[in-house]
Amino acid sequence: MAQSVNISTRGKDGAALPPDRERPSAGQLLGGLFGSTTSAIAVILVVICILLSLLSDSFLTANNIYAILSQSSVVGITAVGGTFVVITGGIDLSVGAAIGLAGMIGALFMQAGFGAVGGTILTMLVAMAVGAINGISVAGIKLAPFIVTLATMGMAQGLTLEANGGQSVYSLPAVFTYFGSGTVLGGIPISVIVTVIVFAAGGLLLTKTAFGKSVFAVGGNREAARLAGIRVNLVTFLVYVIAGICVGIASVIIVGRVGAATPTGGVGVELRVIAAIVIGGTSLFGGKGSLWGTLVGVLLIGVINNGLTLLNVDPFLVQFMQSALIFVAVLFDAVNTRRITRGRLKMPRKS
Amino acid sequence: MSGYALVELSQVSKRYPGVIALNDVTLTLEASTITALAGENGAGKSTLIKVLSGAVVPDSGEVRVDGRSLPPDPGEVIRSGVSTIYQELTDVPAMSILDNVLLARQSSRCGVLEGQANRDLARAALERVGLQHLDLARSAGSLTPAQRQLLEIARCLARNARVLIFDEPTSSLPEGDVETLLDIIRQLRREGLAILYVSHHLDELFAISDTIVVMRDGAVVARKPTADWDQPALVKAMLAKDLKHAYPWSERNLGEVVLETRDLSAPGVRSANIVARSGEILGLVGLDGAGRTELMKAMAGATKPTAGSITVNGRSLRLGNITDARQHGIVYAPEDRKREGLILSASIRDNVVLGLYALITRMGLILSGRLTALAEDNVRKYGVKADSIRQPIGTLSGGNQQKVILARVALTGARVIMLDDPTRGVDVGAKSSIYEHVMDLARRGVAILLTSSDTDEVLATCDRVYVLRGGRIVGEVNRAAFDRESILTSASLG
Repeated sequence: MAQSVNISTRGKDGAALPPDRERPSAGQLLGGLFGSTTSAIAVILVVICILLSLLSDSFLTANNIYAILSQSSVVGITAVGGTFVVITGGIDLSVGAAIGLAGMIGALFMQAGFGAVGGTILTMLVAMAVGAINGISVAGIKLAPFIVTLATMGMAQGLTLEANGGQSVYSLPAVFTYFGSGTVLGGIPISVIVTVIVFAAGGLLLTKTAFGKSVFAVGGNREAARLAGIRVNLVTFLVYVIAGICVGIASVIIVGRVGAATPTGGVGVELRVIAAIVIGGTSLFGGKGSLWGTLVGVLLIGVINNGLTLLNVDPFLVQFMQSALIFVAVLFDAVNTRRITRGRLKMPRKS
Repeated sequence: MSGYALVELSQVSKRYPGVIALNDVTLTLEASTITALAGENGAGKSTLIKVLSGAVVPDSGEVRVDGRSLPPDPGEVIRSGVSTIYQELTDVPAMSILDNVLLARQSSRCGVLEGQANRDLARAALERVGLQHLDLARSAGSLTPAQRQLLEIARCLARNARVLIFDEPTSSLPEGDVETLLDIIRQLRREGLAILYVSHHLDELFAISDTIVVMRDGAVVARKPTADWDQPALVKAMLAKDLKHAYPWSERNLGEVVLETRDLSAPGVRSANIVARSGEILGLVGLDGAGRTELMKAMAGATKPTAGSITVNGRSLRLGNITDARQHGIVYAPEDRKREGLILSASIRDNVVLGLYALITRMGLILSGRLTALAEDNVRKYGVKADSIRQPIGTLSGGNQQKVILARVALTGARVIMLDDPTRGVDVGAKSSIYEHVMDLARRGVAILLTSSDTDEVLATCDRVYVLRGGRIVGEVNRAAFDRESILTSASLG
C-alpha cells in the first residue's frame, strides 16, 4: 500500500501532487484485502465446493465432477483465447456466435461428404477467419473492439441461421463427435483432456514466450510498447486469431457433445467467457491477468451453475447470481486498476 | 480603476519533495494592467499559475482577490472572477459556439434553459473578443485555432472574469493570428481587467505588457515597468548566475558520421539537417513546441516524416518504421516516462527487457534465469534503488524509472540513442548518475542526441548543439562557442 501511495503523490514532473490523497480510500482497503483476485476467488471456489458437498450428496461424486468439467470445457477453451484478447485491453463478443457458425459450416461440409477431417479443418478455418476479421478491424483499421465484435457476432449469428435454414445438422461422423462426447481411462471426458491441453498450451504461450510478454506490454501501455519496438499491431491482430483458434476447438467439442450442429450452438457463451476472465482477475483495462485466474473463474461459474441445479434453485435466479458475480468482479478490477494508475490519470500540466 | 490591486499574493511558498517550486512570492496584479511573467522552464511560472487557478494550494502565504481570500477550489476560483486560458484548447469541438461560451454557466429558470437570455449573454461576451459575426449554432470545431482561443476568452468573460491569466496563449497559433490575439488582450486591459501574460516568446512580452516580472528558481527576482527593460537585460535576469551542479564531461575522440538527415520534414519539423558522429553527444535546444520531441520521434520512426531522408552508417532508413529504425540501431527514449516510456503496472524486470525479448529467449521460449540475471545486473549497474526486481516500476521515483529506461535503450546495442529530456523531474543525485552513464555510452562510440528542459544542462553535457525554433533548425553551435545568452536568445526570438 505504501508503494501505491508513492505513485499517487508523484506527478509527471516528479513533483508531488497535493498530499490529500495519501489517506487510503475505502476502495484501496478493499483492494488490499483481496490483493490477489485469483487467490481470493480460489478460496471462494473451495468454500462453495465444501458447502455444496455438505448440502447435496450427489455433488462430490465422480460423475458429477466430470459433468461439471465437461460442461465447462466449451467456456474454458474459449476463455483461453479470450484471456489473450482482454490482456491486450480488447474484448471479443463474437466468440459465442462464431462457435455456432464454425460448427454449422463444418457440419454441413461433413453432411456433404467431406469426412471428419475435412469437417474439422473447415470448422477451424471458419473460426479463425472470424478472428482474423476482428483482428484486422481492431489492429489495422483501429475500430473499437467492442463494436467490431458486436457486429461480427450479429453477422455470424445471421449466417448460422441462414446456412441451414435455421435447422440443426444431425448424423455426423462418430470420429468427429468423439471429441465432444467420448471418454477415456474409466470415464474422463475427452473434452476435459482437450481443455487441459488448451490451457497448458495457452499458459506456455502467455508466460514463457516473447509473444506472451508482448501481449502484456501492449495491454499495459500500448505507446510505450510501440516505442520499445514491439510490433503492437501484429500482436493485437494475433490475439484475435488465437481467440479464433480456441473458438474452432470449442466448436468441435460442442458439436460433438450435442451430437449435432444447432443454430443456437454457442449462444451466450461470450458472456460466460468474459465473466470467467474477469472473475479470474484479468483486468478489462488490459496489461494484467493470468490463465490460472481464468481457469478458476471457469470452474467457479461451472460449480455454481451445477450447485444451483442440484439444489433446485430457480433458473432465473441462477442467471441473476451469475451476473451479480460479474458485477462484483468488475468492481474489484476497477478499484485495483485505479489504485495502480492513479499517477497516470491525475497529471499536472506541463510547464 | 487603474493601479487598483485586484490580486495580491503575499509571501506565497509551495514546496515539493526536493524542489521549492514557489519561494516567498509576493506579487500584485492591478486592474487595467498587463503583467508579463518571464522565466526559464522550471522557474516556477507553472506553479504560480496553478496557485492562481486554484489547482494547487500553497503551503504558506496568502492570495487575495479583491480583498478576499482565494477559495481553494478551481470552480470557486472561476466564480470569484479569476480565469485561466491554457496553452492547449479546452473547448468542446463538437458543441456549438453558444454552448461552449456558456459551458457550465447556462441561465435557467426552474431547470429550463432560458434561450434568449443565454444567447444575449453569449453575444455580449463574443462581441468583446471580436467574434460577434459568428453563427452561434456553428460547432466550435469548425473554427480556426485562433478563433477557438478567442472563444475560450469569451467563455471566461461570460463568467464575469475580472482577472485573466494567459499561459503560453500563442504557442498553438499561426504567426499572423498572434497580433489579433494581442489586440484583443489590449482591449480587455482598456475594459479594466487585470491580466497576467506568461510566455516564452520575449518579443510578445515586450509588445504587450506594462510590467515584466522575472522568476527564477521559484522566486520573483525582478519587477520593472516594461519600458525599463531591454532584451539582453531580460535574458540575463532569467538565467541563473551560476551552474547549480557539476555535470560530467570529458573530451572524446569522435568517430565517423553515423546519423545524417537531409531536409527531414514531419509534423512539427521543417527541413531538418542533422549530422551525428560516433561518440558524440549532441544537444537539441529549443523552447517547448520548438520541435525537439517531434524531430526525435521522426528520426526514430515513431512518427511518419513527410519528406526528406535519414541515413544510418550510410544506409537509408524506411521512414516512419520503428522496427527498421531499431534494426539500423536508432532508439528513442521518450520524454513522458509514464505515458510513453514505461508500463507502470509491470515489474522493474519486465520494463528493463521491454521489447528486448531476443536477448532472453531461445527457440522462442523465455529463459527465466537469463531474464532475472539480465534485470538484476542492470538494476545494479545503473544504481536503481528498489527492494526487488519484481516490484512494480510505478512505485519507483522518477530518477530510478529513468535509469531503467536508460538501461533498456543501452541494452539494444544501438549506435544512436536519443534521450528526450531524460532528467525531467529527476533529483540532483540521479541526474549526475544518469549523465555518467550517458558519457560512458558515448565513450563506447554511441552517438547520443539529448534534449533537456534545462538549457544549462544541455550546454554542460553536450559537444555540440542545434538550436530549434518553430520546427526549424536555426543555429548550430560547438562546445567551444557555447554562450547561454546568445543560444537562449536565438531560441526565443523570431
